[in-house]
Amino acid sequence: MRFTIFQESRVGRRKSNQDRMAYSYSRDALLMVVADGMGGHLQGEVAAQIAVQYLVESFQREAKPRLNDPFLFLSRGLTNAHCAILDYADERDIEDGPRTTCVACVIQDSVAYWAHAGDSRLYVLRAGHVMAQTRDHSRVQRMIDRGLLDEDGAMTHPHRNRIYSCLGGPIAPQIEYSRKTPLLAGDTIFLCSDGVWGPLGNETLLKLFDDTQVMQAVPRVMDHAETAGGDTCDNLTMIALNWHDSYAEEPRGSVTTKTLPLDRHTTVLEGFGDRVPSREDWDESAIEAAISEINSAINKYSKGQ
Amino acid sequence: MPPQVNCALPAGFELDQYRIHSQLSLGGFSIVYLAHDRDGTPVAIKEYLPNALALREEGHTKPTIPEEYLPAFRYGMKCFFEEGRALAGLNHPNIVRVLNFFRANETVYMVMQYERGRTLQDYITKRRGEIRESFIRYVFTRLLNGLREVHAHKLLHLDLKPSNIYLRNNGSPVLIDFGAARTTLMADTPMLKPMYTPGFAAPEHYRNRDLLGPWSDIYSVGASMYACLSGGPPQAADQRLENDSVIRAAERWIGQYSPQLLETIDWCMELNHLKRPQSVFALQKALATWDRNEESGMAAPAANPENNWLGRMRARLSALVGK
Repeated sequence: MRFTIFQESRVGRRKSNQDRMAYSYSRDALLMVVADGMGGHLQGEVAAQIAVQYLVESFQREAKPRLNDPFLFLSRGLTNAHCAILDYADERDIEDGPRTTCVACVIQDSVAYWAHAGDSRLYVLRAGHVMAQTRDHSRVQRMIDRGLLDEDGAMTHPHRNRIYSCLGGPIAPQIEYSRKTPLLAGDTIFLCSDGVWGPLGNETLLKLFDDTQVMQAVPRVMDHAETAGGDTCDNLTMIALNWHDSYAEEPRGSVTTKTLPLDRHTTVLEGFGDRVPSREDWDESAIEAAISEINSAINKYSKGQ
Repeated sequence: MPPQVNCALPAGFELDQYRIHSQLSLGGFSIVYLAHDRDGTPVAIKEYLPNALALREEGHTKPTIPEEYLPAFRYGMKCFFEEGRALAGLNHPNIVRVLNFFRANETVYMVMQYERGRTLQDYITKRRGEIRESFIRYVFTRLLNGLREVHAHKLLHLDLKPSNIYLRNNGSPVLIDFGAARTTLMADTPMLKPMYTPGFAAPEHYRNRDLLGPWSDIYSVGASMYACLSGGPPQAADQRLENDSVIRAAERWIGQYSPQLLETIDWCMELNHLKRPQSVFALQKALATWDRNEESGMAAPAANPENNWLGRMRARLSALVGK
């Protein structure tokens, strides 16, 4: 594994920093976590600390040097962290216990796996485009999905901070998992709390990240977010990584098609252009990968029964 | 391309760890078999075999795929995987459970739990126009539990219709066939047209696919309920946009079913997607609101729920779940 990683957390204009972040890596695997303790709830920072610490400790225990099953690791890690937060509140008889969002990402064999609950985000950037992005578990995101709100409306919506999934709450978290995402050299992944993306909005955030050297990009993004956040600026936290290896030993030709961004600009052309490149992408190894992915999803459930 | 029909694998065929018993259905995109696993447990196996792209002749196990169709065949396989992926992530009593996924015979197979019963389509055909309100409310309220789970996973079914709703022998419904889920993938491949069934697909299937959402599945639920009353599919939505000849349920069956049910059906079948129930939950709430006293003027029987089989079943079931 070869990568450049950078993380930073700032208190903003709040009394305390309830955000937590960490990364950890072995020879073959890497973990990144961001958790945002919930403001309105007592001791939000404790919840965030428990979540981050729990994941890092499990990672150090299990990644020797590889994780057997990164998705299983994430699912167990987040669920157990949720339970650990509940236990903490129980032991102290705290009625409205502390809660936290959490986004965690594992990279192993140049494949990224991530999971999240709440509105802390993860982005994967490739060749200047967003290749993947988590979707917030928030009311405003639901409204956007239903076409009732646009992104500008979401930035100022009075309920923009309401989320429906988190760790430590009375309802078990809805944890959302990514697909296995093969990485290429030059890809950038970053995780951040809503203090970073909230005041900037997606467009500005990504524009500020167009020079993807994380060492420069992270402080620049944080500066802008802090200014935009104004007098009530929330805690800001960000971990970003430049990936320098490529997934698999693909022949040169096919790598170029894989770098085609899968964003809206290409889909507009669908139906007119030649779709053969994306079909050629679908080779033997992709079929095997899809089948094993499906079977691992099936097993995840049947074991739980 | 001349029309062709694929031959099913023969009974007794050993497919991976399963033994084929018989063919359950044959579609343009796949064949479904009844098979048994090593323990003798019956399973349903769906075989990816689009007859526009691959042909299996009598006596062969592997299909012949012309070289020029291979990319499209592979691409369609991707869509088949989407169905597997969608189902593998769902675990709900009202959604068919997928058990395994494997490759063989140069194609792919999805193994699902085998359910005994029949489709709602069969039921409608048999009882044309004689379906009770209590049955409709019972089946659809439970079915919507499954659909809620689908939507909670940010998926859309996109091909809901009576023949994709399976009724177990105990009367509980199961959503089957997620072949159309995430059809967007197929929209650009002329060989594999997006799938939808005229009469049950929402208008946005035909026109503006960007507008597809939970409300599109809700249109299909409304059309399926409409079909329960009329015995056949309502006019296709694209034709309705031109010249709507669907008689509103509230007019057509006035006095035979409660006005509230009929209005709910019409609500689901609004052509404007914004006028329909926007979530499954909203629709479920409407279906759960049934004031039996209002039926006094109704011509249809089923007035005394204790005197019919379904009413008793219903009472027993609610006693079981403690509601």
